[in-house]
Amino acid sequence: MVEFFFGFFAIMILFCSVMVVMSRNAIHSVLWMLVMFFHVAGVYLMLNAEFLAATQIIVYAGAILVLFLFVIMLLNLREEMNIEQLIDGWPAGLSLAVAMLVVLILALGSFSVKPWGQWSIEVVEKTTQTKALGKVLYTEYLLPFEIASLVLLVAIIGAVVLAKKKLKS
Amino acid sequence: MPGTYLPSNYLPVFIFLVVAIAFGLGALLIGAIFRIRRPYKEKLMPYESGIDPVGEPRVRFSIRFYIIAMLFVVFDVEAIFLYPWAVVFDKIGLYAFVEMVIFIFILLVGYLYAWKKEAFTWE
Amino acid sequence: MVPLHWYLWLGSLVFCIGMFGFLTRRNVIIMFLSIELMLNGVNISLVALSHYMQDLRGQVLTLFVIAVAAAEAAIGLAIVIALFRNKPTTHLDEIKEMKG
Repeated sequence: MVEFFFGFFAIMILFCSVMVVMSRNAIHSVLWMLVMFFHVAGVYLMLNAEFLAATQIIVYAGAILVLFLFVIMLLNLREEMNIEQLIDGWPAGLSLAVAMLVVLILALGSFSVKPWGQWSIEVVEKTTQTKALGKVLYTEYLLPFEIASLVLLVAIIGAVVLAKKKLKS
Repeated sequence: MPGTYLPSNYLPVFIFLVVAIAFGLGALLIGAIFRIRRPYKEKLMPYESGIDPVGEPRVRFSIRFYIIAMLFVVFDVEAIFLYPWAVVFDKIGLYAFVEMVIFIFILLVGYLYAWKKEAFTWE
Repeated sequence: MVPLHWYLWLGSLVFCIGMFGFLTRRNVIIMFLSIELMLNGVNISLVALSHYMQDLRGQVLTLFVIAVAAAEAAIGLAIVIALFRNKPTTHLDEIKEMKG
């Protein structure tokens, strides 16, 4: 049963990823990406990370992809669909990506973990995942949390500065 | 045991999704089997008996939509960080409160900046 | 029984598909989507490791990755709009003004 769900999610994720990369129309890419995000959320559910699954759908599918769609509608391009989607040197890119994959898989082969933390499935389910995540996030990860707010601040200021110019004209 | 875990709480959600997908696909399939196919060009027009459409169907959106959407993304992430905080607030107490005040204050600076730059006004 | 390595292979495959897209596409928006794919591949690996090691740190890191991805999308797309104002194209090879 677990294998079946994993296989379904994995096949859908890989298929949608390939379609994202190979679509001629950027809107189709974004819509394939949406399907892929939902299946990634399914994988997170299988890994007992329900809060992250919700976050994946709310932030990635609900906010970031909407932003992408807005920009595509803002730019309103037609001629992009008539040109070849890949550059001429695509075999070089493909071989580099395959080489990266081989390196990653070979590196992962010599990789074994054993459960050594305290957050086993039963503990996480008893405290609920959101609560467990909050405990770790707000005690151990104080500084990265505040730095994340700085990153978001930079995002606000940078995007307002970059996109605002047109409003004056 | 990791590797055999299945979220059994989500079984109703799964059944709901299966039924929804089966219903959608089934309705389309049954329609495709039984309906009469007699296509002609006017059927594909947005207003079949209205005036003929003129110009591009896709109009270019105003850039103000982008600024609003961008601010929505940023504050959406802030809301996501607020959820686990609100759940564990009674366990961690004042420490978490101070953390979150600093976090919100830093984002408030960005909010005030966007406000000052008139990102919210719709002229 | 799904071993940890299946998830890690899935993450690596998604990462490499994203890398291939980033290297071979020249549409700025699809290049950004490829970056999001790469981030998602990393996220899958992180959550899987976190689950199998019974340690929540990987999941916290994933939350930060999502926050950074949101910021990156906001700024990156603002740059696309700023570039588009100078030259109405999203094809990166057409944008040569910054070349020395």
